Amino acid sequence: MMSDDAWKAAWDPVVAAVGRDFSDGASEGADAVERGLVRRYLEPLEFDCPLHYDDAAAEAHGYGGMIAPYSSYLAFAVAPIWSPGDAPVFTSDERDAQPARAAIRPPASGLEPPYTGYFATDFEIEFLAPLSLGDRVSRSGMRLASCEPKETRVGRGAFVGWEWDLVNQRGEEVAQIRVALFLYNPRETSSEQAVEAAAAGRS
Amino acid sequence: MDWSVQRHFEDVEAGQEIPPVSFPLSVYRLVVEAGANRDFNSIHHNSAFAIASGTDEMYANTTFLLGMWERTVREFIGLGGGIRKIAGFRMRSFNYVGETVTVHGKIKEKRVEDDQGVVELEVWSATPGGVTVGPGTVTVTLPRREPGESLRAA
Repeated sequence: MMSDDAWKAAWDPVVAAVGRDFSDGASEGADAVERGLVRRYLEPLEFDCPLHYDDAAAEAHGYGGMIAPYSSYLAFAVAPIWSPGDAPVFTSDERDAQPARAAIRPPASGLEPPYTGYFATDFEIEFLAPLSLGDRVSRSGMRLASCEPKETRVGRGAFVGWEWDLVNQRGEEVAQIRVALFLYNPRETSSEQAVEAAAAGRS
Repeated sequence: MDWSVQRHFEDVEAGQEIPPVSFPLSVYRLVVEAGANRDFNSIHHNSAFAIASGTDEMYANTTFLLGMWERTVREFIGLGGGIRKIAGFRMRSFNYVGETVTVHGKIKEKRVEDDQGVVELEVWSATPGGVTVGPGTVTVTLPRREPGESLRAA
């Protein structure tokens, strides 16, 4: 590994960029809120709350009709893997081949030093408005909120925090999100140990 | 779940536990979940890929874990409750296929804000190996009971 000063200094550009917005503008979720998608969302959770499928029940509690589960906001903000007009993304028949473009990617400033491992460590979401049928979610902004270089048991890297808003098709803010990830170059250790060690490192 | 009964702000007290909800994790369920929430990262539905990345097995994704918290909280606050915020959702270890995740919670505090009953819930997920997510805080609202009103159907 590099000397103490060198590995920390490599994160200086990211530390200096805290507060900047790195949004690339490509932020719309793949699908609008639809009855069938909500049904599928509820299915593996075995979640039978009538607010999410029964218009009359939702209206009786002050909503305009059925609403999406709050935890599904993230799912409705996920970008498409492929859309009409795009180049093919499934181009390999190798068993574990990944598509050329993933639906979910970690936020990045482009200023990070090389790293090989990452995982989310913290998540926070504040719900500001319900999502109704036909609503379309987009990400608004991608602000670098924090960068803390740190050596943990798993290796040297940085805890990097991001925050963004989710807005509907009318531009109304529906949620605010904060996420922290640990980006690092691992020591000889398993990913399981890495997660536990990183969580302990934040405590 | 009987959704006709509504819990009110006056019915709850600090320290009160909320009923736990368990989620057995099979390969089948993780695959259905990946399709439902669109987190297709292979570590969540492909054992070979997950193991090659250094984990013991495929494991539940973040949105699934959030959904577990939402269901557990919603079953406590009922249709008349509202979910304002989830904070402190710290992922401490993986929730593997072949394990059962149980979401627990208890009331931290309650207060009135602008005539609304606001309740802070401490929530966490656990497997037989210990706490895997949280403890975090879910801020909810509960309807307030009219003077003289008793527990009633929603």
